[in-house]
Amino acid sequence: MRDRSFDPTDIAAGVVFIVLGLAFGLSSLGLEIGTALRMGPGYAPLVLAMVLTLLGVLILLSGLRSRRGEPIGRLAWRGMAVILPAPVLFGLTVRGLGFVPAIFLASLLASMASPRMKPWQALALALAVTVFSTLVFSYALGLPFRRFGPWLPI
Amino acid sequence: MAPLSRIGSLAAAATLLASTALAQGYPERQITMVVPFAAGGPTDTVGRLVAERMSEQLGQQILIENVGGAGGTLGAAQVAGAEPDGYTILLHHIGMATSETLYRELPYETTTAFAPIGLVTEVPMTIVARADFEPADIASFVAYVKENADTITMANAGIGSASHLCGMLFMQATESPIVTVPYRGAGPAMTELVGGQIDIMCDQTTNTTEQIKGGTVKAYAVTAPERLEILPDLPTTAESGLPGVEVTVWHGLYAPAGTPPEAVERLSAALQSALADPGIAEQLAELGTAPSPAEDATPAALEARLTEELARWKPIIEEAGVYAD
Amino acid sequence: MDLLSNLALGFSVAASLENLLFCLIGVILGTLIGVLPGIGATATIAMLLPITFQLEPVSSLIMLAGIYYGAQYGGSTTAILINMPGESSSAVTALDGYQMARRGKAGTALAVAALGSFFAGTVATLLVALFAPPLTAVALQFGAAEYFSLMVLGLVCAVALAHGSFLKALAMVVLGLLLGLAGTDIYTGAPRFTLGLPQLADGFNFVALAVGVFGISEILRNLEHGQGDREVLGQNLGGLFPSRADLRRMVAPMIRGTALGSALGILPGGGAVLAAFGSYTIEKRLSKTPEEFGKGAIEGVAGPESANNAGAQTSFIPLLTLGIPANPVMALMVGAMIIQGIVPGPNVATEQPDLFWGIIASMWIGNLMLIVLNLPLIGIWVRLLKVPYHVLFPIIIAFSSIGVYSVKGNVFDLYAVAAFGLLGYVFLKLRCEPAPLLLGFVLGPLLEENLRRAMILGRGDPTVFLTRPISAGLLVLTLAVIAVMLLPQVRRKREEVFVEED
Repeated sequence: MRDRSFDPTDIAAGVVFIVLGLAFGLSSLGLEIGTALRMGPGYAPLVLAMVLTLLGVLILLSGLRSRRGEPIGRLAWRGMAVILPAPVLFGLTVRGLGFVPAIFLASLLASMASPRMKPWQALALALAVTVFSTLVFSYALGLPFRRFGPWLPI
Repeated sequence: MAPLSRIGSLAAAATLLASTALAQGYPERQITMVVPFAAGGPTDTVGRLVAERMSEQLGQQILIENVGGAGGTLGAAQVAGAEPDGYTILLHHIGMATSETLYRELPYETTTAFAPIGLVTEVPMTIVARADFEPADIASFVAYVKENADTITMANAGIGSASHLCGMLFMQATESPIVTVPYRGAGPAMTELVGGQIDIMCDQTTNTTEQIKGGTVKAYAVTAPERLEILPDLPTTAESGLPGVEVTVWHGLYAPAGTPPEAVERLSAALQSALADPGIAEQLAELGTAPSPAEDATPAALEARLTEELARWKPIIEEAGVYAD
Repeated sequence: MDLLSNLALGFSVAASLENLLFCLIGVILGTLIGVLPGIGATATIAMLLPITFQLEPVSSLIMLAGIYYGAQYGGSTTAILINMPGESSSAVTALDGYQMARRGKAGTALAVAALGSFFAGTVATLLVALFAPPLTAVALQFGAAEYFSLMVLGLVCAVALAHGSFLKALAMVVLGLLLGLAGTDIYTGAPRFTLGLPQLADGFNFVALAVGVFGISEILRNLEHGQGDREVLGQNLGGLFPSRADLRRMVAPMIRGTALGSALGILPGGGAVLAAFGSYTIEKRLSKTPEEFGKGAIEGVAGPESANNAGAQTSFIPLLTLGIPANPVMALMVGAMIIQGIVPGPNVATEQPDLFWGIIASMWIGNLMLIVLNLPLIGIWVRLLKVPYHVLFPIIIAFSSIGVYSVKGNVFDLYAVAAFGLLGYVFLKLRCEPAPLLLGFVLGPLLEENLRRAMILGRGDPTVFLTRPISAGLLVLTLAVIAVMLLPQVRRKREEVFVEED
C-alpha cells in the first residue's frame, strides 16, 4: 500500500459508469415517478440510474486505492475506424443501392481493417461474400431484400 | 437520417416520372407487402394467406416483409415513403386509424399518404373472463362489473391495442372504472387470464376462439354487429345492452399515395378474387372471421372505413388521454 | 398404457419417410443458417419460416421444429468458435466455450455442447410426453409476483457470472437493466431513453446488442496488434473429442442443467432465459475449481448447453397444451400452425393427436439426427478456425449485418450494432464483462413490468411477494444465494481467485 499507484482501468470504468448513470438519471427526470400502486415510467429508471452512479463512484474509489496499476493497453484504432462503420454503411445503402451492392461495400470496407489484406484479396473476398449471400439469402431463402435499389439506373 | 430520406424522396420523385409509363405491363416483378408487425402474429397470418392467393392472381410473387415496431407506425411510415410504383404495398389493421391520435408525432399523414386498395377482413373481438369468473351470462356479468368495479382487473395487449380500445369502450358503456393491466402483447395477457391471475379481457377471436371452445376462459359477448358462425351461442354486445361496444379489427391493404390508378385497380381486383377463394374463407373461419365481400375490397370502401374510424377513435382516445409517444 | 400407444402413434407419424426427410432438411438448414455468425435461432426461423408453408401441417411443424433445434446447435457452434452468440442463451455458452476454443479445445467444447444438448433433449422430450398437462398447471401458477421474485433470483445469480470484479459485474447488470428499459413504457406509453427516435419505440434490438458487445468487440480486440490475427486457435487443435476425464466432468452439470432448463422452460414469458445463466451460476458455485470458469471450464459449457436445450424442448409445453407461445420462436410456430389451418389451443392434443404426438416424437428424432450430423461435422467446424482471422472477420461482419437486418427489416438496428460494438470494446478494455450486461438487458423489462403489475394487482400492497407461496419460496432462495455469496470464506476464496488471475 505504500506506493500509491492507481489502477487506470478501474478509474476509467468508474468514470464511464458515473457518466452513464447520470445520463440515464437525467433523462428519467422528465418521466413521472408515480406511487407504489401505480409506479410511473420513471420509477425504475431513476432508482437504477442512481444505483449505477453509486457503483461507478465505488469502482472509481477502488481504482484510486488500488495496489497495482493495470494499463489499459493498446487500442485498435484502425479496427474501430473501419469495422464499426461497416454495418452502418450496409444500413445506409441497403434500401437505396439494394442488397447486392450494400453487402459488397460493407464487406469490402470491413476487410480493410487488417494490413495483411492486400487490395486484390479484399476485392476477391468481398465479391465471394456478396455472391454467397445473394445466392443463399436472396435466391434460396427468398428474403424480401431488393437486390438492386432505386438509386441505381438499372 | 434527414438528408438520407431526402435523397430517398428525390429518388422516389424520379421513379414517379418513370412509373407513370408502367400501366399495362404491371406487375412485371415481385411485389413487397409490408406487414408492420412481427412474423407469426395475427396480422402477419392474414397477410400471408391473402398474399399467397393474390400472387396467383397477379402472376407475380408477393413477398411479405415484416417491419415491426412502434405499434405498426414504422412499417406504415416505410410504405408512406416508398416509391409509388405499385411494387410496395402495406397491410395494416385498425391501428392505421388509431395511430393518428395515439401518436402525436406521426411521420406521415394518414389521410393523404396512402392510396387505399381495399378491406381484407374484419376480426371481431370477444369479452372473456377467467374460467371460474362468477357471472353466468352477459347480463349478470355487466351487473357484477358495475357492482365490483373496484376489485375487478382487466388485461389488455398494450397501449393503443385493439383490446385496450375495446376495454375503454366497455368501461364507458358500463360506467365502471376498472383497473386495467397492460401486457406486452396478447399472448402473455391470455396466459395470465387462463391462469386466473387476472379477471377479464377483451380480445380478438383469433386469440380467444380456441380458448373459449376449450373451456379455459369464459366468454360473455362478441363485439360484432352479428353473432359468429363459429361461436353461435355467444350474444353480441348490441343485443346485450352494450350497443356502443362494437369493435372489429379491420384489415386494409394500402399503396403509397401517388401509385398509378391502374396498379391500384389491378391490386384491388386481385384482392377481390383472392378473397372469393373458398380456401381462404375456410382458413379465416378458423380464426373466427371471414373475408370481406367484393364490394368492401375496393378503394372506395376502405377509404370510407378509414375516414369513419379516424373520426370515431379521435375523441375516445383524446378523452382517455392515452398516447403512445 | 396410454402413453405408449400415444408415443407409438407419434412415432408412426414422425417416422414416415416423408416426415423424416423434412425433419432432416429442417435440422440441416437450421444448423447451416444458424452457424452463420450473428444469425441466431430467431433470425434463422424467421428466414426459413416461409419455406415450410407449402407443406402438410404435420410435416411443416416437424420441419420447423427441426429448424429450431438446428439453429440452436448452429448458434452454439458460432458462440464457441468465434464468440458470436445470436441468442441470449448461447451467450453463456460463449463464456467458457470460446475460452476453450482459444486454448485449442474447440473440438472438445463442441462435442460437449452436442452431447449435453442431446442428453437434455432426450430427457426433456420425455418430460413433455409424460407430464405436459400437469406442468402446464404449475406454469399457470406463476403470476406477476412470482415472475418478479424469479427475476430477482436471476439477477443475484447474474453477478456470479463474472469472474472478475464483483462491483463491475454489478454495475454491468444495472446498466443492462437500464438499457433493457429503453422504449415505450407499456403501462403509460411514455417513451423512455428513446432519444426521440421512433425506431427505439420498442427498445434496443437484442441481436444488435449481442452481436455488438460480444462479436464486434472481440474482433476489435483481435485487431489491436495491427495484424488482425489472433493467437493460437487454428494452430493447436488438440483432441477433437472429450477425454474420459472430460466426460466424467460433464455428467453432473449436464443432469443439473437439464433439470433446471426443463423446469424454467415451461414458464411462458422469459423463464427460459434464466435457465442457461442459472445453470452456469450453479456449476460455478458447486465447482471445486471455480477459478477455471471464464477460462474454459467444461462444466461451464455442459451445464448451460443442456439447460438451454432442455428449455427449448419444454417451452413447447405451453404451446402444445394451451396454444400460447412462450417466446418469440414459439410465436412464429403459432403463425405457422394458423397458416396451416390449425388454430393452436387447449384442444390440440385431443382433437389432433397425430399432430400433437407426431411433433413430440419428432423432437426426439430431430435431436438424434442433430447429434449424428454434428459429431462428424465438428472436425469441419474446427478446421474453419484455420481460416486466417483477417479473412474471417469481414465475413463475420457481413453475415451479422444481414442477420441483424433480417430480424425486423430495420436499418436502425445496424447503427445500433456499431454503437454497441464500440460500447462493448470500451468495456472490454476496462475489464468489464458483457455477460451480466446481457442478462440485465433481458431481465430489465420483465423485472419492472412484473413488479409494477404485481403492485397493481395487489392494490399497492408490497406483501404480495411474501404471501404468495411460490414467490416467497423464490425470495427465500434468493436470500440463501446471497448468504452463500457473502460467507466470509467464500469471499476470501474469491479474492484469491482474483489475485491468481493477475
